[in-house]
Amino acid sequence: MSVMGATFVRNWRITVRAYPWTYFVGTLATGVLTIGVSMLAYRAIGGGRVGASFTAATGSADYLGYVTIGAAALTFTTRMVLWVAKAQITEYREGTLESQLLTPARRLPYLLGVTAQALSTTAVEITVLVAVAGVLGVRLSVPEPLTLLAATVAATVAVVGMSVPLSALMLAAGEAHITQNTLFTAMALLCGFTFPTSYLPQAARWLGEALPVTWALRVLRAATLPGADVDPWPAFAVCLLLGGAYLLVGLSILKPAERRALHRSARA
Amino acid sequence: MSTGIVTTDLRKTFPVRRWQGWRRRPAAAPVPAVDGLSLRIPPGQVTGLLGLNGAGKTTTIRILSTLLRPSGGTVSVDGLDVVEHAREVRRRINVISGGERMVYDRLTARENLWYFGQLYDVPRARLRVRIGELLDLVGLTEAARLPVERYSRGMRQRLVIARGLINDPAYLLLDEPTLGLDAPIAHQLRALIAQLAADGVGVLLTSHYLAEVEQLCRHVYLIARGSLVAQGSPAQLAGQTVRRHTVRLVLAEADPSVTAALRALAVRHDAELTVDVDDEGRPRFALRHPEDLVGAVVTAVVQQGGAVAGLTVTPPTLEDAILALADPAAVAR
Ligand SMILES: Nc1ncnc2c1ncn2[C@@H]1O[C@H](COP(=O)(O)OP(=O)(O)OP(=O)(O)O)[C@@H](O)[C@H]1O
Ligand SMILES: [Mg+2]
Repeated sequence: MSVMGATFVRNWRITVRAYPWTYFVGTLATGVLTIGVSMLAYRAIGGGRVGASFTAATGSADYLGYVTIGAAALTFTTRMVLWVAKAQITEYREGTLESQLLTPARRLPYLLGVTAQALSTTAVEITVLVAVAGVLGVRLSVPEPLTLLAATVAATVAVVGMSVPLSALMLAAGEAHITQNTLFTAMALLCGFTFPTSYLPQAARWLGEALPVTWALRVLRAATLPGADVDPWPAFAVCLLLGGAYLLVGLSILKPAERRALHRSARA
Repeated sequence: MSTGIVTTDLRKTFPVRRWQGWRRRPAAAPVPAVDGLSLRIPPGQVTGLLGLNGAGKTTTIRILSTLLRPSGGTVSVDGLDVVEHAREVRRRINVISGGERMVYDRLTARENLWYFGQLYDVPRARLRVRIGELLDLVGLTEAARLPVERYSRGMRQRLVIARGLINDPAYLLLDEPTLGLDAPIAHQLRALIAQLAADGVGVLLTSHYLAEVEQLCRHVYLIARGSLVAQGSPAQLAGQTVRRHTVRLVLAEADPSVTAALRALAVRHDAELTVDVDDEGRPRFALRHPEDLVGAVVTAVVQQGGAVAGLTVTPPTLEDAILALADPAAVAR
């Protein structure tokens, strides 16, 4: 607990001191743009109506609500992955990974500390995004609280689960950019952020199903889409299992990845 | 159970890959960075690890501190194997290295020490006291509330030293700890190292400042290309090679009779003589011999009526010994 708490406090201090405002504006802009473009398409091309297939796939005709929630979820996911998956490679680049690895501290509480801090920061960003959507004229129905909480838990587990193997990959490759952008593109396409996954070709759909974020999103949809009378709990369970599996795999490849990074840096 | 850090036949080979066309291939024969080292670092004294650049000192320290895994051989810290009981070993040791970042730029000195204290699981009350003590010790009390990014190089290094002591390590591995420190702080650090050893801490010191090593170390290991070439007290080491005084003499102008007299002198004492000219074209002589021959040299020059323009005598040093032992080829040149 002390490692988690200390890492939370440490990151919080660093963030307060040097918050990258450009990041904030960048993420917000992406979210707003997604909603804006969807609005345009909806009004101009769709004539303000969605196809029957959309309603059949989502159980709802509220496409704007669907997209807004998707944009908020995508912001949440990308921001959280940026914090958690890049924590260690950032330490590596700033020359502090070694001082970390010299200590007896375990990796999981460290990563959970990073997660806790990321959650608090991202919550603020999401609130701002949803508020902006409201100003743009998107009306969201009030979500069911318990399901919304479950969705948040599911999303966090999904994101942490995916971030840990990603952190290992980045350390092993000594590279963050390609890894992270590949994942972001894949997630945006495969997980159902802006359109239902049933629109995807079969193979891509299976890929999407293997990502815990897809399942977290289903829980979120169940909580936020009016008229979508789906049971969120099966998706919730799958998300926890899948996220947990990713986490375990991630933790088991983290040590060899760290060793690889140290071998590389020792030369400096 | 044996106390101290004990390495047995320690080996480390880095995988070397080279670009070959489009692909990186493993090189034919990777050169070992550490090659069969057996050392002992007992508690309560400073042990030196010396060697030229690339000898394998840093690699050894990284293995001892669990950052790298050995390719062969074993290391135990108070009987605990560094690979098998890495976490337990990490509690007992710490590392201070010059020229590495090791601390967080955006945090203050106090916040850095607090964070590392948490990672080392130092009890809350103890940590509060310890941070104050350490800041005092390294002279950062006044700057303790400034972010490290605003520190000078020396201030940062002092924080790195404090970081290395936050867990009260039983063993302290120092990799060129005085690199970049000004004289008073380096002096203070040496006093601190001696004090820690007196208090029972086992210290391993690598340094390119030999005066530091001579002053602090009771036992010194000298390595070259990853292998042990000599060991002993600094005095024993310095005595292991032929210790030679070097007399350097510059004449005001060339004088064949003086040159002849010096050659005769060298032959008579079986000393090594080199003759060349200095930047201003004046004849220059260097005479190396176990004894200090300066008296005989001056007498010879004066008897032949030569005029001395410059004269220096260099006594043998630990440095000569290290050069001679670690790189015999360089000394022969
Ligand atoms: N990460 C690495 N990958 C490949 N080779 C390495 C790596 N780290 C060190 N080496 C090699 O291992 C040998 C020993 O290096 P090491 O850094 O231990 O030397 P050192 O004694 O600390 O030298 P210095 O006095 O310059 O600090 C060198 O030949 C070096 O090139
Ligand atoms: Mg070194």
